[in-house]
Amino acid sequence: MATEYFLRMGDGQKIFMTKEDILADIEAGCADAADLGDIPALSEDEMDHMLDIITSPGRIVGVEPGLEVPVTHDIGAIRIDGDQGNSGVGIPASRLVGSMVHERAFGADTMELGHIDYSFKPVKPVISQEQQTMEVCQQNMVIPMLYGAMPNMGLYYTPDGPFENPGDLMKAFKISEAQDSIQHAGDHGIRDMVWIMQKLQKVGSDGVNFDTIGAAGDGDMYASLNAIEQLRKEFPNMYINAGMAGELVLGMHGDLEYDGTRLAGLWPHEQVLLAEKAGANTFGPVCNTNTSKTSAWNMGRSVTFTKAAVEASSIPCHADMGMGVGGIPMLETPPIDAVTRASKAIVEIAGVDGI
Amino acid sequence: MGKRWGICLSASAPTTLSIFYKSLWDCHRIVFKGGFKTTNEELFKTLSDAVVSCKKDDVIAAVEKAKGQAPAVELIDNGLAAGMNEVGVLFERGKLFLPHVMMAADAMSAGVEMLQDELATGEGASTKLGVIVNGTVEGDVHDIGKAIVSTMLQAAGFEVHDIGRDVPVQNFIDKIKETNADMVGLSALMTTTLQGQKEVIELLKENGMRDSIKVMVGGAPATDAWAKKCGADCYAENASEAVAKAKELLL
Amino acid sequence: MPIAHIMASGMTGMRAAGDLVARMQFSKNMRLGEAKDFVAKKLGVSNADLSDEFVMREIREELDIGVITSVPGCAKGIAAKMNIEKLLDIEINCCETFRNTIA
Repeated sequence: MATEYFLRMGDGQKIFMTKEDILADIEAGCADAADLGDIPALSEDEMDHMLDIITSPGRIVGVEPGLEVPVTHDIGAIRIDGDQGNSGVGIPASRLVGSMVHERAFGADTMELGHIDYSFKPVKPVISQEQQTMEVCQQNMVIPMLYGAMPNMGLYYTPDGPFENPGDLMKAFKISEAQDSIQHAGDHGIRDMVWIMQKLQKVGSDGVNFDTIGAAGDGDMYASLNAIEQLRKEFPNMYINAGMAGELVLGMHGDLEYDGTRLAGLWPHEQVLLAEKAGANTFGPVCNTNTSKTSAWNMGRSVTFTKAAVEASSIPCHADMGMGVGGIPMLETPPIDAVTRASKAIVEIAGVDGI
Repeated sequence: MGKRWGICLSASAPTTLSIFYKSLWDCHRIVFKGGFKTTNEELFKTLSDAVVSCKKDDVIAAVEKAKGQAPAVELIDNGLAAGMNEVGVLFERGKLFLPHVMMAADAMSAGVEMLQDELATGEGASTKLGVIVNGTVEGDVHDIGKAIVSTMLQAAGFEVHDIGRDVPVQNFIDKIKETNADMVGLSALMTTTLQGQKEVIELLKENGMRDSIKVMVGGAPATDAWAKKCGADCYAENASEAVAKAKELLL
Repeated sequence: MPIAHIMASGMTGMRAAGDLVARMQFSKNMRLGEAKDFVAKKLGVSNADLSDEFVMREIREELDIGVITSVPGCAKGIAAKMNIEKLLDIEINCCETFRNTIA
């Protein structure tokens, strides 16, 4: 009987497969990305390297010494004090303590401050508290400390926001009204994001992490890129990371453009060019994990997309490698074997500048 | 090969010759209209392409031309609906966007409307694929992914009742009863609200409705394993998979 | 999970020189190789040493740019970042804000 190796499904479940089957899944995932993005597939050597990583006998794998990359940490200190039943571990600690734990105990290369809702819009009413916390964090910490939040245009649509819900309008075939609503929400979002970051830069923030750009489709990306552009003009030295929500910018509006390029339908290697043009310092490519596929398929797909973005980019690419992305299983406690394998593959094969 | 010959004949050969060949290829229908002969496959493709173009005028013109040349049900299934499926694929591939999906759906509806008379009297009395109630569970305010799924289901021919986001559990039950729904779609974007999907399923059981309705779960933290655990009938990874699974379960 | 990434691939922040490399990426758009070259040159070490806790511990103490453990008298917070500004020849926003506050 052929030797079987353990790996994971996209939902984290342990499975066993032969080397041949694992390689076939890597090839299939890779081919899917190459086909969708019209990008080169990984070479045979690269796929073989991925196979070696997946079938490595140790529970934990790591990059070769000398190939380490900065690991930036998003979602702020929510991992420590978050106690709403998600991936936070509910330790009652201030955000300063949480951030310092990341710096001093975990060895994070950068950190960010974020509030419990983690979207920009709700920061406005609590901006003074965010400023105060940022100020205290900056006084105590050494590693780069950004402010992080999601553009989350969904919060601008009814019933949460002032603009009519484009989903409802679309379903009623009111297409131009839906597009208008997306555009208006985007313009409002730009104003909010710029205003919030002006306040935080004033108290010493190193910069901003736009997390999950495009989660609400092309309107979300339109708002984020324009906010980045405005912030870059106003703060030439500000650190700006443009982190995406998924591998594809969904076309909710369909016609929105940035600098003459249509935003809907962009893949990572195309997204990065606009992030760069807008003025981001770093770009966070993302590829969502398919929970019904194996980690071999997901890693093949994720590394292919990410590698193309890294090659197209002239700014550093910090791949998003959190729960349910980058080939990492969609589970609140992703298995360490799967995390470290995806981590090594994205560094050694995709050649990312950071995670 | 037969199809290629058929196309060749249509373009160049005299009618009598094409009739001769028609008798030879009984597996391929060759239709004749206005001096231009078209196989059913070509007819369906024209309809499908018209839907993919997302232009209502093109669909209306294509249906006008196709009407009477094949049963209405076939024109819809193999032509218009096939085009709509292609639109779904192109949406997932980032080649078409939500407004296109809606324009295509609108165009397809217009095409189906033109065939209603024949449908009412002929084969296949209804074009509705099924009734689906769709909503994001209580406590979860995420709307966009669920709205895309509703749109795609609607575009595929289902009657969709999207009851919004942060929907109280009882509202799902009420809406299912009110619409006599065949399926309920439960969305949750957060690990914290996933449990809400199970709560709806439990309430369906309490009301004795579980056996008469299919349950689909979706959203970022949902998985196949979760669908099995919470007692749903299926899990869909994305909008086009939601359409495919709804068809699997309801048709 | 972040710990798993940090152990598998990370430069381990202040344990070594990860924060310094990240700063060059953010402040000057430097790709990984360029940022490592730049920082290594400033510190007078090899690129591989940037992730080596043994090498970096001593250097960080010597340059007073912040160390991960609690060492009495070592620069902390903004004081350490002011030394990093000088070392890397960059401007750090909170240091500038701090200077303006005390001026």
